[in-house]
This record gives sequence, C-alpha cells and structure tokens, in this order.
Amino acid sequence: MGTILVVAEIQKGSIRESSYELVTVARQLAESGGHDVTGLVIGSGVGDLASEFASKGAGKTLVVDDAAAENYNVDIWSKAIKAAAEASGADLILIANTPTGWDVAPRIAAGLDCAFVSDCFAIQSMGADGGNFVRRVFNGKLNAEVSTTGKTVATLQPGATEAFEGSSDGGTEALSVDTSARASFVEIKIAESTGVDLTKADVIVSGGRGVGDADKFPEVIQPLADALGGAMGASRPVVDAGWLDHPYQVGSSGQIVAPKLYFAIGISGAIQHLVGMKASNFIVAINKDADAPIFEVANVGVVADLFEIVPALTAAIKTAKG
Amino acid sequence: MKVMVCLKQVPHQDARLDVNSDGSWIQEDNIKFEINSYDTYAIEEALRLKDAGDAEVVVVSIGPDRVTQALRTALGMGADRAVHVNDDAAQGADALGLAKTLAAVAREVEADVIFTGLMADDDNASAIPPMIAELLDMPSATGVTATDVGDSSIKVERELEGGALEVVELPKPCLIAIQTGANQVRYASLKGIMQAKKKPVDVKTLADLGVADSAGRVHNKATINKIYVPAKGDTAEILEGSTDEIVTQLVGKIKELGLL
Repeated sequence: MGTILVVAEIQKGSIRESSYELVTVARQLAESGGHDVTGLVIGSGVGDLASEFASKGAGKTLVVDDAAAENYNVDIWSKAIKAAAEASGADLILIANTPTGWDVAPRIAAGLDCAFVSDCFAIQSMGADGGNFVRRVFNGKLNAEVSTTGKTVATLQPGATEAFEGSSDGGTEALSVDTSARASFVEIKIAESTGVDLTKADVIVSGGRGVGDADKFPEVIQPLADALGGAMGASRPVVDAGWLDHPYQVGSSGQIVAPKLYFAIGISGAIQHLVGMKASNFIVAINKDADAPIFEVANVGVVADLFEIVPALTAAIKTAKG
Repeated sequence: MKVMVCLKQVPHQDARLDVNSDGSWIQEDNIKFEINSYDTYAIEEALRLKDAGDAEVVVVSIGPDRVTQALRTALGMGADRAVHVNDDAAQGADALGLAKTLAAVAREVEADVIFTGLMADDDNASAIPPMIAELLDMPSATGVTATDVGDSSIKVERELEGGALEVVELPKPCLIAIQTGANQVRYASLKGIMQAKKKPVDVKTLADLGVADSAGRVHNKATINKIYVPAKGDTAEILEGSTDEIVTQLVGKIKELGLL
C-alpha cells in the first residue's frame, strides 16, 4: 500500500478547483488500488486552508507555512514537494497542469529520478510498480496511452474531472523545509485593459491560423462579426504571429468567454483555446480539416474552405437583416 | 556569455498524422519536419543577446540524421555552433533520459543561460526544460514572454492565466523556457544560410556524454504504449451541401437563436 500525494495550489486566497480535481482522481485510485491519500499545502499563513483541504477530501495534509512562500517560488516549491514526497513515501505525486504545475512538476521527477507524465486527462491505474495514463498529443489531434515504471509524478489537465465535494478525516502536520531560494518573486502584472472586452459580447467571431494572414481578419472575419453586431476574437497562433493583439485572444491565456453564439473559423481546437470558449451557448466551427478537434465541442460544423463560406454567410446575414 | 538553446525537430504543423504500424507513434516517413514553434522563439531570444554583443549561441538537438536540417536552419539564423546528439539509443529514452542528455551537453558547453521552448508541438509534454535545470541545480522559469538580461541575473515575465504575468528574477546560470509570441522570430537570410555551411556541427553519442549505462540504455520509466485518434464527440452536426445551402442552414440556426 502506497501513498498518493496531492499538491494543492492557492489562488486569490482559496484552494483552486483544480486541486480538488486532483483529490477526485486520487480518491478513485485509492479505492481501487488501496492507497492512502496525503495532501500538501504550501504558502504563508495557510493553516486554515490546509485544514480545509484536509477535511474536504485530501485527508492528512502536510503544510509548508512560511513567509518566504507567500508567492509561488520554483525553488521553494521544488524543495517542499520533494520533502513531502519523501515524508509521505508517495508513489504517485499529483499536481495540476497550471502555470505553477508545469513550472515545478518536471523538477520533482528529475529530483526524485522517477517517471513523469504531464497533462493527463485520465489515470487508469496506479500501483507500486507504476501506472497507466492517458493524455493528448499533437495539440489534441491524437491521444496517447502512457505507462510508467515505479514512482511517478503526474500533472492533470484542469477540468479533466469534477472537483471532489465530499469530506474526509485528517489533520494537518507541519513540514519543515529550507525555504531559501535563488529565484526571487518581483510582482504580478495584469495586462492593461485596451477596450476589447469579449466577455460582454453576445456573438464572437474568432479566426485562427487557418485564416492565413493578418490582412484577412479585416477582410473576412471582422465583417461577419459586424454583420452580427458581435466582436472579433482570435486563437493564440494569430496573436503569436502578430496578426492581432493579445486582447483579441480567446483561451486559457487570453479571455474566457461564453457568448450566445461563437464562431470558430480556421481554428483547429487546441485545448488551450477550447478552455476559453467551450462554455459558449452555441458554437459553429468552420474548418477544412474534418478531423479538427474543434468539431467535438461545436454544435454545428462546416467542413469547407472558410473563404467560400464566410463571405457568403456575411452577405446572407446582411440581406436577412434588410 | 555562453548561451545554449535546446531545439526539437517536429512534424510540420500541417503534416498528415497517420499512426504507425505498431501504434506507438505517427508514421514519420515522407512527412515534412520543422523546428518546434516554441523553440524558434527560444532561438530568437538567444540571438538577441548575441546581437547585443556578448554571447556565443550554441544550438543543441537530439535526433536522427534529419535533425541536421533543423540545426543548419538555426545556424543560418545566426547561432555560432551546433551540437547534434545522434544516437539510436536516444529513441528509447523518456523525457528525463533526454533531459540528462541535454544537461550533459550543457555541462560541456558551460552554459550561463539555457533557452528552450515551453513545450513541443508533437508530444505537448512540457517536461524536459525544468528537468534540465533541476539536474544542473540551477533555477528555471517557464512560459516566459519577456526577458531582461543583466550581468548576474535575468528578470523574466512568466505568462499566467487570464492575461496576468509573473515577474521573477533568476541569478545566472539559469534556464528559461520561452512561450510562443515572446518575440518576432527572424528568418535565416541567404547569406546566413551560406555562412551556416561553414559553422561547426559537433555530433555526439550518448556514450560520449556519459549518459548511457553499460548496456547502452538511458533513463526510461515512461513509455507511450499506443496513440490513437480520439473517439469523436457526437455533438457537432455537420452541415452538408453547396455553399448556398450551407449558408441558408447557418442563417436558419442564427435565427433560431434569436440573433437575427
């Protein structure tokens, strides 16, 4: 019988939903594989949050509570998680695949010289000799089944499962860790508002890499948005290429939107885009690749050349409006 | 200052993805390859330090003969020299095995700064960069969109969620994993490509780097057993017909939503 260590993450004074998703997975594996579950909370003045994590699913929870850990710090988190892994004898260490998770998790695997699997959306089994994991590759176009040998660090895709909502017995236990660090936190900067607020639009027409170049956005995408009285958006590759500015970006690193109608045009549907728009009421996807993952979240799909469909649709909407 | 850039050659973003005969990876014959998009931004970030006057840029990649082309491209963009780890045994390595290999190269290069991409477009793993830093006992930062390189430290901006950025300062030596969009990546000029032909490409094996055991094996505790096309969700209703017919159906849907 081994232990599953669940690493919590605090955001805006609360334990993140993604941390409770880890608890769900850990408890399912614990039931089928006879594991213990142990939580880990890292921060400053986090005693109450650690107690909450212990009683809402994690059970026994280790706490690194130190003023130096007020903000995320790669050095402190690396040392704390490695220490917790050793103290708990964990054979599976679960971390959410957030910007914190992907920053620190691989270091833990390297430090413990063990197996690593990132961004899983399912963990099929975990025993003392290893586990079986499922994750996306090629930006969601294919899935991969990965098996590991021995101790494993795994990160879980946020939203892959429901957050745990039950209760558990277990107290907290302070874990002493050297919190000296080489990296130093400076500040959090919030991108300045530029007037593009997609979250208030009823209709969003987003273009992706398939739109081809910067000039096509005012020629093809914006006119459809205008005809519908909506706003124009974009996927990440468009912003990375400099075709549109960051405020237009829909996705996990841009705006999270849920309009009444969302058009995904020339967007293949990488997970980081889907996270930003899948809560939309009605999704229309237009893409020439019938295998594009975007069609799995769309209500209606059109497999065709966007340059034929979109201008014709824009004209038809103008006609319908009279 | 010595700057090392790790780059991976991956299937072209528009390449046809067919699963290979044993289901373990995609069919790689007859498809185009390119430098991983994230890594192109890492190369650019390194070359900007060189442009500023005081950096030797060493590009490093692990892979078969085809990887030479990716390294030549990076040399054409302006990198000074390349290290190509070309060893069949590397195909049996997991991310940590490859990280150990790249860490061994970094020790030989005596890199002050290591730039990588945040992740690779093919395996989307985002695993190797922090591993290299851990193995070399240096700090790291991932998802970096801006760097400010000083004499003894580097201040970076890390992309968080919802448009937030975390500013962190790392002492050198350190590793920085770059996010896409961090800069405008240059193209290799014709002159650069001509000059690249004369630049050294050092070919190494795992044994040269001391990362294989006596049987020639490297760290492998995570194995892809199979890859497959995900089962399709049944939500999307695919509209069929001529352009006019499709447009008519779409207009109907928009009317049903009360938006027309």
